[in-house]
Amino acid sequence: MFRFISQRLAMSIPTLLLISLMVFAIIRLVPGDPALLMLGDMADAHSLEVARASLGLDQPLPMQFLIWFKAVLSGDLGHSITTNEAVLPLILDRFQVSAGIVLVSVLLAALIAVPAGLLAAWKQDSALDFGVVSTATLLLSIPSFWLGLLLLYAFGIKLGWLPVVGYVSFGQAPWQALSFIVLPIVTLTLVELGAITRMARASAIEVLRLEYITHARAKGLSERAVLWRHALRNSFAPTLTLIGLILGNLLSGIAVLETVFTLPGIGRLMVDAIYARDYPVLQGCLLLVTFVYVLVNLLVDLLYPLFDPRVKL
Amino acid sequence: MNKTFILAGALSAALVGTAHAESVLKVALNADIRSTDPGVNRDTNSDAVIMHITEGLVAFREDATVGPLLAKDVQVSDDGLRYTFHLRDGVKFQNGKPLTSAEVLWTWKRFLDPKTQWRCAPEFDGHGGAKIVDMSAPDPLTVVFTLDKPNGLFLTSTALPECGGSGILHPDSVAADGSWKAPIGTGPFRLGDWKPGQYVELLRNADYSARDEKAPDGYTGNKSTTLDRVRLLVIPDPAAAKAALLSKNVDLLIDVTPLDATELAANPNVRVTSSGTMSVNALLFQTRDPLLKDVRLRQAIAHALDSAQIVEALTGGRSKANNSMVASGSHYHTAVEDQGFAFDPAKTAQLLREAGYKGEPIKLIVNKRYAAIFDMGVFVQAMAKASGINLELETLEWGTQLERYQSGNYQMMAFPYSERLDPALSFDSMTGDKDKEARKVWDNPDARHWLREAQREGDITKRQALFDQLHQQMIKDVPMIPMYNGNAIAASRDYVKGLRTWPVSKPRLWTVSVPNSGSN
Repeated sequence: MFRFISQRLAMSIPTLLLISLMVFAIIRLVPGDPALLMLGDMADAHSLEVARASLGLDQPLPMQFLIWFKAVLSGDLGHSITTNEAVLPLILDRFQVSAGIVLVSVLLAALIAVPAGLLAAWKQDSALDFGVVSTATLLLSIPSFWLGLLLLYAFGIKLGWLPVVGYVSFGQAPWQALSFIVLPIVTLTLVELGAITRMARASAIEVLRLEYITHARAKGLSERAVLWRHALRNSFAPTLTLIGLILGNLLSGIAVLETVFTLPGIGRLMVDAIYARDYPVLQGCLLLVTFVYVLVNLLVDLLYPLFDPRVKL
Repeated sequence: MNKTFILAGALSAALVGTAHAESVLKVALNADIRSTDPGVNRDTNSDAVIMHITEGLVAFREDATVGPLLAKDVQVSDDGLRYTFHLRDGVKFQNGKPLTSAEVLWTWKRFLDPKTQWRCAPEFDGHGGAKIVDMSAPDPLTVVFTLDKPNGLFLTSTALPECGGSGILHPDSVAADGSWKAPIGTGPFRLGDWKPGQYVELLRNADYSARDEKAPDGYTGNKSTTLDRVRLLVIPDPAAAKAALLSKNVDLLIDVTPLDATELAANPNVRVTSSGTMSVNALLFQTRDPLLKDVRLRQAIAHALDSAQIVEALTGGRSKANNSMVASGSHYHTAVEDQGFAFDPAKTAQLLREAGYKGEPIKLIVNKRYAAIFDMGVFVQAMAKASGINLELETLEWGTQLERYQSGNYQMMAFPYSERLDPALSFDSMTGDKDKEARKVWDNPDARHWLREAQREGDITKRQALFDQLHQQMIKDVPMIPMYNGNAIAASRDYVKGLRTWPVSKPRLWTVSVPNSGSN
């Protein structure tokens, strides 16, 4: 197990190296640079030259990469061009916000979707199945920003139960913090419910058709035991993969939702960094996101044997 | 005994709390600020915030002329080289220390130090505008600036918001190693807390020394405030900002689109305020383009457009068409500047024939960051098409468009010029030698000469004549078509009083009052 984890983590190093090089090159291929965006339409040649020199953009690209990469190896991701904040604490601070919301949402979605999918599969082609599938398809089709805006309108404006904008951390004021993240969590949970439910249902249908389920029933096991002990466990692996993918995807940023709910998360930070060509922040964010992807996939792989005995690490 | 004591204490605390209920204004900010250092690492929101904390020697009045602020008066020598500022007595910094000429000199030396990277240093060190050759303080309340040659824009440049209004700082604003800490100015608010990505909080400066005038006047006049606290919340999404206003999570939106303004104005609990600004939305031509170098084709496009109708549709009637770089709100805008491009399809047809135009496609660059710019492109394309001109829209991300503007790599471009508070600055943004600066739109030697004169000249009548000449020549050359000046539109809850928009599209929150917390 330890060897497996070490190997996987070691394998992530070339991935991170490659990603850092690609990110560095691609963002610089995009027209416009931070100095130009900082000065806007008032950028005269002299001011632009001074600003570029002060940001180190007058150096050749390979030199810029080496300077940045050397600093990264010593744990220094540099400073934001926009606000001059140190990048590492900045992205970790913002990542916490996104991660908290994403983890709770995906957990809630999984807790609702997996049993719902299993029940729908068990009662395939019944009214229950139709209801679950229709709801899942509907939720799958709703854009997250639209659902977010609807919830804001209903609970923020019409009912006035929850604040429409703002954010405080749990450390500052737990109840107030909760009031700010309820709607984003509900939105994200609802949006992710659809995909997980459909995957859980499809996998369960396949498993419920297998001979060992018939055998279990023939043995006289209760339907509950058949479903929870045999069908769920064996059908959960593909759903787990999907949850892992969703988690990795969402942890890399829920920029749209963060914008709608004015949350200071990593997604919004990344979008702002792209628009401002804030190279150090963008590079730092993408390195973190890549690393998170690697970790989530590793976690999924480690959990796989629990549900599929054929898989050995 | 102890319980009674605690209860009494709690009650009295509650009563004291009620007696000191705060007057708090919550404002939506469409993006976070970049820094709190005046004119350094700035953008328009950073300028807007810093102008509440620091004050310069002079500032823009309501009509965009320049008047004294920290200075009691300003004397200009007959040769136009020496500017003597007499400081107001009794002004205190937000740390309680008095303002003297020493702090003025310290601040300006810091501004002009290349290490500071002050945005406006080129305006004062000879690279662009004026050149300060000497700064001195004959006494604690007098400062003298000496220029190498007369410059009609010296005071204007000093007051510019993008220069942080050249706000005077106390030296404690920086650390011992010279790095920036936080602004300690003389403004009506001091910096409370800045939580990047979330909010900026301003607190009332209890020691504020207001000017003697009865009322505020632009960035100067009496700027005392009744607000205890202002919280500027970063809300990037316009829909979320609107929702926040409607749910009373914020009291004021300072950057509302014309479309949202129309919708919000229908709400009985919301007030919408607007006024013209000095920004310019324009159509630029690349006069070196093989096709568009023919002035007849540019003239044909200008006459194909009904600017009045386009602007009416774009702004919901809030702005009027203005084909001049002299903003409608400027005191230099006269009947001469009102003479723009007439909508004349017959003339367009004639000019197109003369130019030998055969429907070749012309790319018009637009962006979606500024909705008005995209919409303007769509209207222009449709009207040009009606006259047989084949414009093709190319939608770019703002940073990419800016790069194309800077390099002159375009045929046509719909472009938003940020506000320039003097016509010489407006003309300077687009006039110049394209071989030296590719971003320049108008490369006419006569125009460059008149512009240099306008930048040097201090006499209002002579400047007016120069601006008239520049405008008339620009209408002949058609290097660009200024369409209209922007609009500052704000929307607030009905309990927000005293909000006034003005030609400078930045808020002045000291003019605003709201009921104390709990009463709205």
